[in-house]
Amino acid sequence: MEAFELTAVVHLVRPAGMAARNLDEMRSSLARAPERALFCHTVQSLLRAPDDDDPPADDLSAWVNGVVQDSETAERIAYAVQSQGAGPEPLRRALLEVLDALPEKTRIARDAPEGGELVFLAADSVPVPTGWEAHRPEELFELLAGAEASVWFYHLIEQPWFGAGDRPLTRWLREAGAGRLADGIDETAAEALPLPALRRRVLGRWRRSELGRRLARAVEQPEEERREAGRAAVAGLVRRLRQGGEEP
Amino acid sequence: MTLVQVSREGPPLVDRYREIAGEGAMRVLEALAYRLRGHRLVMVNSTDTGGGVAEILHRLVRLLEELGVPTTWEVMPGNPRFYGITKTIHNALHGHAGELSAEDREWFSETNRRAAEALALDGDLVMIHDPQPVMLAGLRRAPGQRWLWRCHIDLSNARPEVWDFLAPHVARYDGAVFSHRSFVHDLPLPTWLVPPSIDPLADKNRELDEEEERALLEPYGLPAGRPWVTQVSRFDRLKDPLGVVEAFLLARRRETAHLVLAGGSAADDPEGAEVLAEVRARVNGRPDVSVLALPPDAHRLINALQRRSTVVLQKSIHEGFALTVSEALWKRRAVVAGAVGGIPLQVIHDRTGVLVRSIQGCAYQIVRLLRAPHLRRRLGGAGREHVRDNFLHPREARDYLAVFARLLDSGK
Repeated sequence: MEAFELTAVVHLVRPAGMAARNLDEMRSSLARAPERALFCHTVQSLLRAPDDDDPPADDLSAWVNGVVQDSETAERIAYAVQSQGAGPEPLRRALLEVLDALPEKTRIARDAPEGGELVFLAADSVPVPTGWEAHRPEELFELLAGAEASVWFYHLIEQPWFGAGDRPLTRWLREAGAGRLADGIDETAAEALPLPALRRRVLGRWRRSELGRRLARAVEQPEEERREAGRAAVAGLVRRLRQGGEEP
Repeated sequence: MTLVQVSREGPPLVDRYREIAGEGAMRVLEALAYRLRGHRLVMVNSTDTGGGVAEILHRLVRLLEELGVPTTWEVMPGNPRFYGITKTIHNALHGHAGELSAEDREWFSETNRRAAEALALDGDLVMIHDPQPVMLAGLRRAPGQRWLWRCHIDLSNARPEVWDFLAPHVARYDGAVFSHRSFVHDLPLPTWLVPPSIDPLADKNRELDEEEERALLEPYGLPAGRPWVTQVSRFDRLKDPLGVVEAFLLARRRETAHLVLAGGSAADDPEGAEVLAEVRARVNGRPDVSVLALPPDAHRLINALQRRSTVVLQKSIHEGFALTVSEALWKRRAVVAGAVGGIPLQVIHDRTGVLVRSIQGCAYQIVRLLRAPHLRRRLGGAGREHVRDNFLHPREARDYLAVFARLLDSGK
C-alpha cells in the first residue's frame, strides 16, 4: 500500500473581476461567480484565524451586515454558508435562495457608499507537500496531531469541497483498514467546524479508538510493567491537576 | 555597485521568526522553499536604503537564502534626472498632477537600457519592484525565465497619460502582484494580491524593556498619570489629524486622557508643514494634547509611544494599506481606525479593533475603550494573533514563494 503524504496549502488571492454595490448586484454576481471566488469569500476565511474557536464571519455576510446594514439577510447568508459545506454549487444555490427571497425593491434599496463595494476575489490553491508520509493509520494520526492548520484545512475541508465530497485522506484510511475512523472523520468534517474544534474532535475520536487497542496490549504485559504504567499515569494526572490549579 | 550585500549579523532569521511566527508557519515556508529548490531568484529595485521596499528586501533576501533558495538583490543604477522623472511618475500614479515630456520618456528608457546592460539578472525567477526598472522584462528576458512585477503603489487613481506609457512594459511580465485589491489596474496578465507585512524584529516593533521605554519617552515630558490616545502618522489631510483632535476633544468631555499626535517633521513636504501648523493652531495652549514632529529614523520612539498608549488611532479618510495599524495591533493595543483602504483587513470590527466612519464615532469608541480595560485586552490580544497569522514578514515571503511556484507550474 502506498504511503499517504500530508500536504499544506497556500492560497493566492486575485481579483475575480466582479463587484457589487447592493444586494441585487450581489445576487447577479453570485450567480456567475467562479467556484474559486465562492471559496475565497466563504470557506477559505476559516484559515485567516486558524487557531480561533470562533472565527470571523464569512466575507459575504460580513459585507451585508457591515456595509449594506441588512442584519437579517446577513444572518441568513451566514447560516447558508455554515450549512452548505458540500461544495460550490450547493452553496451557490443556498445563497441565491436567500437573496431571491427578498423583493427586488429591497435588494436595490440600499447602495454601498463609495469605496464600500463588495469586490469579488478568487483564491487559487498552491498545495505544498510537507514530506510527512504515513504508512499506517496510527502514523497518519500522529503526523496530523503535529501538523499545522493548513494541512487540516486542505485534506478535510478544501479537497472534499472541490471534489464532490471525496476526501483522499479518508479513502486512504479505508484502504488501510481503518474504515470506522474514516467514517468518523467524514462525519466530523461535514459539521463545518472551526479548525481547532475539528482538530480536537478528530484526534479525540482517534485517541478513544486507541483505548481498546492499548488495553488489549496492556493485558499481554507482565504485572510489574502494568503497575509501573499505572503509577506513571496517576503521577501525570496529578502533575496536570497541580499545573491547572496554579493558573491565574 | 549594483549587487546589494545584506547583513547576516546575529542568529539566523529562520530561527528568530520561528520563535515569533510559530513552528507551523515556518514549516510551510520551508516546504515551499524546498519545492523551489534548484531555482534562483533575483530581486531588482531602485534603492537599497530608505523606504519600505528596501526594508523588506533586506530581510527577505536573507530569509530566502537561509531557506535554501539562492537569492540576489540588484539595485538599478540611476542618476538625479532619472530620479526626478520617477518621482513625477510616482506622483502621477497616485493621481497627482504630473506629465512626462518626450525627453523624460527617452531618459527613462535610456536609463533602463543601461540598467539592462549593467545588471546580472542571472536567475530564472526575476522580481521587479515598482515602476523604476519596469522596462527590464522587455529588454533582458532570457529563455526559461519568469518575470514578476511587484507594484507597491496604489494605481487606482493613476493618471492615464503616465500609466499608458508604463502599461505596455508591464504587459511583458508573466504576472503582477499588488498589495490590495483597490490598488489594482486592469492588466492582460495574471494578477495576485499579496498584502504587505511588518517585521517583528525591527526597531519599530521589537519588544522594549521598561527601562528603554522610559528613556525613550522621558525627553518629551508626556504625562505619566493619564491614559494616552495616540495617532502616529504623517501630517497629511488624508490621515485626518484635525479630525483626530476634534474626536479627542469630544471624548475629553467624558474621560480624562492625553492626546499624542506624532508624525514626520514635514521639513521637505510643504503641504505637511501646512497641516502641522493647522493642528498646532487648533490645540494651541491645551495641556492635554502633545504634537510631536519626529525625525524619519525615530523607530524606537514610535515603538515606545505605541506600547505606552492606551488607545491607538488611525482615523484616516483615505489610505493605502496603513501598516501602522498592524504595528499597533502587534503591540496588543486597542485600535480605533477609519474603515478605508487596507485597514478593514487588519481591523475586524469589534474583534481585533474598532472601525469608525465619523468624528463622533471615533469619540464614542475612544470613550468606550478608555472605560473598558477588559475590552481593550480582548481586542489587543486578538489583534496580535491576527497580525501573527496574517501580517508578519514570513507570511509575505511565503506568498511570494507561492506565486513563483505558480509561475513555474504555468510554464510547464
